[in-house]
Amino acid sequence: MTERPSRWLSGFAALTYAFLFAPIVILVIFSFNDSRRVFIWQGFTLDWYPALLQNDRLLDAVWITLQVAALAVVGATLLGSLLGLGLARLRFRGSGGVQTLLLLPMVTPEIVVGISLLVFFSQLFGWNGSMGQIALAHITFCISYVAITVRARAASLDPAREEAARDLGASAVGTFRHVTLPLLAPAIAAGAMLAFALSVDDLIITSFQAGVGSTTLPIAIYSSIKFGVTPQINAISSIVIALVGLALLISWRVGAFRGPSARPVDADAEEGSA
Amino acid sequence: MSGDRKPPGVTFDDALNHKLAKAGWSRREFIARVGAFGAYAALTQLLVACASPAASPTAAPATPSPTPAGTTTAEATPEPTAEPTAVPEPEGELYVYNWDGYIGEETVAKFEDQYGIKVTYDLFPDEATQIGKLQSDGKGGGYDVSYPASTWMPAFIADGTVRALDHSLIPNLANLSPQWQNPGYDPGNQYSVPNAWWTTGYAWDPRRIDGDLTSWDTLWDPALDNRMAMLDDVRECFAAAAFRLGLSPNTTDLGELDQILASLAEQKPLLRLYTQDDIGDMVGGTVDLSHCWSGDWVQMTYEKARIRYVIPEEGSIKGNDVMVVLSGAPHPIAAHLWINFNLDAQISAENTNWIGYMGPNEAALPMIDDYIRDDPRLNPPAEVLAELVELAYLAPADLAKYTDRWTQLRAG
Amino acid sequence: MPGVLWLAALFVAPLVIIAVISLGSLDDAGHLVLGQPTLDNYARALQPAFLPAFAKSLYYATTTTVVSLAIGYPVAYWISRYGGRRKIALLVLVMLPFWTSYLIRSYAWMIILRDNGVVNSALIETGLLADPIQMLNTDFSVILGMVYGFLPFAILPLFVSIDRLDQRLVQAGRDLYASGRGAFLHVTLPLTMPGIVAASLLVFIPALGDWVTPDLLGGADTTTIAKIVQVIFTSGRDWPYGSALGFMLMGVTIVGTLAGLRSLRRELIG
Repeated sequence: MTERPSRWLSGFAALTYAFLFAPIVILVIFSFNDSRRVFIWQGFTLDWYPALLQNDRLLDAVWITLQVAALAVVGATLLGSLLGLGLARLRFRGSGGVQTLLLLPMVTPEIVVGISLLVFFSQLFGWNGSMGQIALAHITFCISYVAITVRARAASLDPAREEAARDLGASAVGTFRHVTLPLLAPAIAAGAMLAFALSVDDLIITSFQAGVGSTTLPIAIYSSIKFGVTPQINAISSIVIALVGLALLISWRVGAFRGPSARPVDADAEEGSA
Repeated sequence: MSGDRKPPGVTFDDALNHKLAKAGWSRREFIARVGAFGAYAALTQLLVACASPAASPTAAPATPSPTPAGTTTAEATPEPTAEPTAVPEPEGELYVYNWDGYIGEETVAKFEDQYGIKVTYDLFPDEATQIGKLQSDGKGGGYDVSYPASTWMPAFIADGTVRALDHSLIPNLANLSPQWQNPGYDPGNQYSVPNAWWTTGYAWDPRRIDGDLTSWDTLWDPALDNRMAMLDDVRECFAAAAFRLGLSPNTTDLGELDQILASLAEQKPLLRLYTQDDIGDMVGGTVDLSHCWSGDWVQMTYEKARIRYVIPEEGSIKGNDVMVVLSGAPHPIAAHLWINFNLDAQISAENTNWIGYMGPNEAALPMIDDYIRDDPRLNPPAEVLAELVELAYLAPADLAKYTDRWTQLRAG
Repeated sequence: MPGVLWLAALFVAPLVIIAVISLGSLDDAGHLVLGQPTLDNYARALQPAFLPAFAKSLYYATTTTVVSLAIGYPVAYWISRYGGRRKIALLVLVMLPFWTSYLIRSYAWMIILRDNGVVNSALIETGLLADPIQMLNTDFSVILGMVYGFLPFAILPLFVSIDRLDQRLVQAGRDLYASGRGAFLHVTLPLTMPGIVAASLLVFIPALGDWVTPDLLGGADTTTIAKIVQVIFTSGRDWPYGSALGFMLMGVTIVGTLAGLRSLRRELIG
């Protein structure tokens, strides 16, 4: 099963990763810029990192953003996965309608989503904006992304496998846990990663749901355009990159990155040989 | 850290003590006021308040979704009876809603240290979000103090988004220079206190463009094809073309507006972009000339000192923003304290020196950096200022005329 | 499916409010008038002047989708076939740049693309170029920015679909068609169709609604229709009109997308 990838393909993949990381390299370099701004290189300094640790406003914004993202990822992954699986599996009356419903949050202009939720929450609940309100909005627009990703996988799964498990006496729950879930896991993980990326960087919808004490990082960053973005913002991003990069490197070195994707492949192999 | 700093609000503390001596009056007045807010909040039809730019909560048409009037605001507004206990002393907290970086670097920390009030300093990404949030419940979206452009004041006063200021709590109002004591948008500063002011003009890089530029015509010069940026701002773009054509920047005459549109359409092919970030585009060298605000030019010179700025001779815009206390402010006393603090000569000068925008504070002048105070482009002499025009608030029907033409221009 | 309930409660219901607003108007004082529903806003939104912006949006979104698929498919295939135990790590690596701020990434692109930027300087330094070429504030920079921004939304769904591919089928296809290309066209591609569809949706639709990328990386001539909606809501402060234009765009997008999906299925799955 293992074969050597063609040079062309590997080279292409390497170029793509270079493309993805080119601006990140610039971003990190400018976190060391000896200037209040990030437009031109003025010299090297480490000052922005300690300055960042003093900047409670920015650190609070990071913390709020992460809390919202955690809620959004969990909520949207749960709801979106079920929706995606259901759409792929069940042929029911109105499944076309559900499909349209799934597209709606994506086709609606962000500002319309933002304002409709603002009016909705303030009108029906008297809410004035809060972290929880932001999280609810994020779950709402992330569901579609998760569901579409999960459906792409579920649609290419063979239902016969689950039926076989049922025939062999597995309970519905057992079948789901031991057969369906492992097969879907990569898609669920992918959906969760997309949801995380969407949540931590959303501006328009978020800014309408924010209230006292819930300034998120994107709001803070865009607010700083007016008077100039400081390298502190780059410093924050660099730290995120460094931490995740370090974790990746360790897992890479250990070589035992037995993520969810490894399991269904093994399951396939076993099944194939059985 | 404030121990060795000069406490800026001594006079205010006296005033507050004086006020507290009359606590009974103050408390009664406050209860009455809060009570009125409660009633008004209950009447407020929120959808209308959020949906319309200048919504008046009392003139509300039917709302599309059923709203139990009682529950609508219960969570959003503190119970009228819960608040008055905080009245005799400034409240322990303050919610400020402002741009990032639009205040002296240490102003918040100094205020917190001096008064023991915890400041929650929230940011907005753009003006539309700010105004939308302040009007979302018709009384400030839960904030105490915000910094809208002065253009909004007539609308905010009319629809009750802001509250009348208690001038006895802001003794530092005396620091304002005479020309700011009675601004047209809010006579007598009854509802607002001017914060920072600016002019509109354009900046250019003299290494790339020779000569002393003086006219709006330069922005229509084919020789500068693809080297210029206009602000991505409908009112400012229309104003630039209006001055060039000898028209009023606040015109609502359809014929004149069509002339302005034609002029802007003629200019569009010469532009590299309509910029969101004039500072970055000039400093990064994307354009050699950019329509900009005076304070932005100061920021440009921090990176490229050679960049020049001019207020064009045909006339231009002057603008300012203001500090307001919102009508639903949960901490009104602390809010007044904040405004007074920012009017202190030392603090006001620190704000100006950090953000590059002149303030209206005469007492602060001696402490403002020379290069800002003594630059006639940042601090123009009175006779130049007198010629500059303020952008007027436009009613929806008039604004629609601008919007229709602006969207046509941009989409075409 | 609780997801349906969630979307109905927190998406459709708020949208109904906006639908009502789109039938309203503003009175002289700026108050929203909802009592006399009118279609005026829809008539006003049907402006021939908006067509160029709409065409721009379509052009950007289509190009972005095609390029993203063309780049994303081989990369997803490579990760899936040769990633081994490091698949997840490789996927996280794809996503990692997107856990930083969009704005800061755009600033980085400006530094790379501008006339005195990294690319132009390098080309001039090496003598390949005499004068800088303009890349920033053009259609090119907008499409580059969009492809960059949406590429992970192509790679991830493509990966989850390709990763499911049974290599025995591909092998059988290779035996049958006697060529790698034939096997790819007749076996691999149809089997990974769900991933292609998902990737197209996740790239095309958001790209069609993108106005921030043209704002930051575009020029005077790169205005998309989504920007027009944004302008009407913000500087125009006209919620009824903005909602009406927004709804018309949504309608066109949904109908177009569903029709596109149907023909895609028919053509490729048969």
